[in-house]
Amino acid sequence: MGGRRYPAGPVVLALAGILTAMLAAAPALAAEPDECATPPELMEAGTQLPNLAARLRAHQPAKIVAIGGASTIGLAAGSPDRSYPHQLDQILSHDYPQASITVVNKGVPRQSARQNLDRFPTDVFAEDPVLVVWETGINDAVRGTDVDDFAETLQTGIDQLKNRAIDIIMVDMQFSRSATALINFEAYLKALHRVGDLAEVYVLPRFAMMHYWSEQKVFNFDEVAPEDRAKLAARVYNCIAYKLAQVIRRAVP
Amino acid sequence: MPSHTQPAASRDLRLDFFRGVALICIFIDHIPENYLNYFTLSAIGFSDAAEVFIFISGFTASLVYGRAMAARGVLIATVQVMRRAWQLYVAHIFLFVIFIAEVSYTVKTFNNPMYNEEMGVGDFLEHPHIAVIQALILQFQPTYLDILPLYIVLLLIFPLVLVAMERSRWLALAPSLIVYLGVQYFGTNVPAYPLGSVWTFNPLAWQFLFVLGAVLGQTEARRRGPTTILRIAYLPAIGIAIAALAIRLSWAFHGLHESFPALFLRQLWPVDKSNLAPIRLISFFALFVLVARWVPPQASFLRSAWTRPVVLCGSHSLEIFCLSILLSALAHFLMSEIASGFTMQLAVNVLGIAAMCLTAAMLDWYREVQRAPLRPALPAGSQRGEGED
Repeated sequence: MGGRRYPAGPVVLALAGILTAMLAAAPALAAEPDECATPPELMEAGTQLPNLAARLRAHQPAKIVAIGGASTIGLAAGSPDRSYPHQLDQILSHDYPQASITVVNKGVPRQSARQNLDRFPTDVFAEDPVLVVWETGINDAVRGTDVDDFAETLQTGIDQLKNRAIDIIMVDMQFSRSATALINFEAYLKALHRVGDLAEVYVLPRFAMMHYWSEQKVFNFDEVAPEDRAKLAARVYNCIAYKLAQVIRRAVP
Repeated sequence: MPSHTQPAASRDLRLDFFRGVALICIFIDHIPENYLNYFTLSAIGFSDAAEVFIFISGFTASLVYGRAMAARGVLIATVQVMRRAWQLYVAHIFLFVIFIAEVSYTVKTFNNPMYNEEMGVGDFLEHPHIAVIQALILQFQPTYLDILPLYIVLLLIFPLVLVAMERSRWLALAPSLIVYLGVQYFGTNVPAYPLGSVWTFNPLAWQFLFVLGAVLGQTEARRRGPTTILRIAYLPAIGIAIAALAIRLSWAFHGLHESFPALFLRQLWPVDKSNLAPIRLISFFALFVLVARWVPPQASFLRSAWTRPVVLCGSHSLEIFCLSILLSALAHFLMSEIASGFTMQLAVNVLGIAAMCLTAAMLDWYREVQRAPLRPALPAGSQRGEGED
């Protein structure tokens, strides 16, 4: 069969080419808008989402609960339809066409991490999610909650979710120049990331991303008319949704 | 310090120097996203500038008011302490007014809807009429306005400490230690405004460090320095200080590069600052023992031109503290409005420290000028000084 080995090369190559083309074409992942670009090191760290992966492998519906504050419910964009959980829902339905993934929005403005945690039984466990996206920290920084108490609350929440075999992604604070001049976010950011580090839970560095967009003047609230600010906010939420989708895709290819 | 009643040389410059160092570190630590944070006192152990500040404040309070009590009785000493507490209170309110100015300005020029909802939580904006009253009774402690309330409360109880110390140092130390241990065991804290928050510096815990400082100040004043204790504690202190330094450094490197192992992070973090966790106290006292042993009161560097600005900052601690709060707010404003790069950081840090040193030099010059012509007219031993300023 020695003679037939040679033609096999191009055939395999062609097949491989077709396969990759199909692979590239078939899932047609939702493309992130250019304005969402961030330095690669911000998205370097990966995470495991074993429970979500198992659920999808078993072809069962997967529910994601997004719990958090005003930026979870999408207040600044004017409607929950423009919030990041809703946009994440759209992106995931597009990226995982075979699976049934729904994102439930449980954002309530002006809540501390502690108040989020108190809502876990009704707003999280009752929904029976397989993944929780917990966006928190802003109100604790604004109110000046004791940092150690804040860290302890996060730890308790993470433990409760882990004990129920629920995967977790944390989202840290929003960045805003004027707000950082007034509120000391640093200690809370540090605490949030350190808790994530110790508990091996991924923390989406939203603060650093928004800081970068602000430095690069990608989203500039100072230069748009007041009536257009909600649209701009929706674009920021959209980028956050893409970043979260990227984290999920990496964990569950 | 009523320095005209004693030669200036007998003033323990170590107190001024290290309080000056603490004030400069507080300034640097209060500027967020500041790389110089890696080089302040908090980088070398579990304790930070707050411990140094409160401990030295207890120490000097004991020297100054102990002397006043010995010379003129409990009543006069108490009145002097209260007068000092009042000065601190006025300074606190002054800083609060600046806080209001900053908040009002920022909120009125706020363009970003993404934060409007969250910012509304700042209870000051929602219920200003209550927030102001809560600030007046020290219950509302916004960012950076937390250490003066602690200091005020500590001074309010200080006359009791003075009287107790006069009988026996254990009469002062024992109740203080019991309360401290109670806090560690039960986690008791003092509630603050808004509902659910607590004092950033739990006075029930931090009073112990202040009283310890006072008791050590008293032994020092009576020229019965705790030399035996210092000798015994020397070797353990070296061990503790090295261990604390190694652990803190590993945490700092871990923060920069995740692959670097953070020693004992899981076991030791978070270190409770609010309740002055024992590990902070131990780490601080290890440093104290080493400094007491290595730096004699007559150390020549304390008198050199290089350390003079730091010593001056420490000897006008209240004014310089208030100024540092203003400057760190200003520095942060500049960094967030203009640029936050390394050059900018270096510039605001250097300029801020220079402003603190220059102001201290000016205050010192003025104090001397004010004192000089009056000196011959005053009866010997009269108290013209501002106490521990």
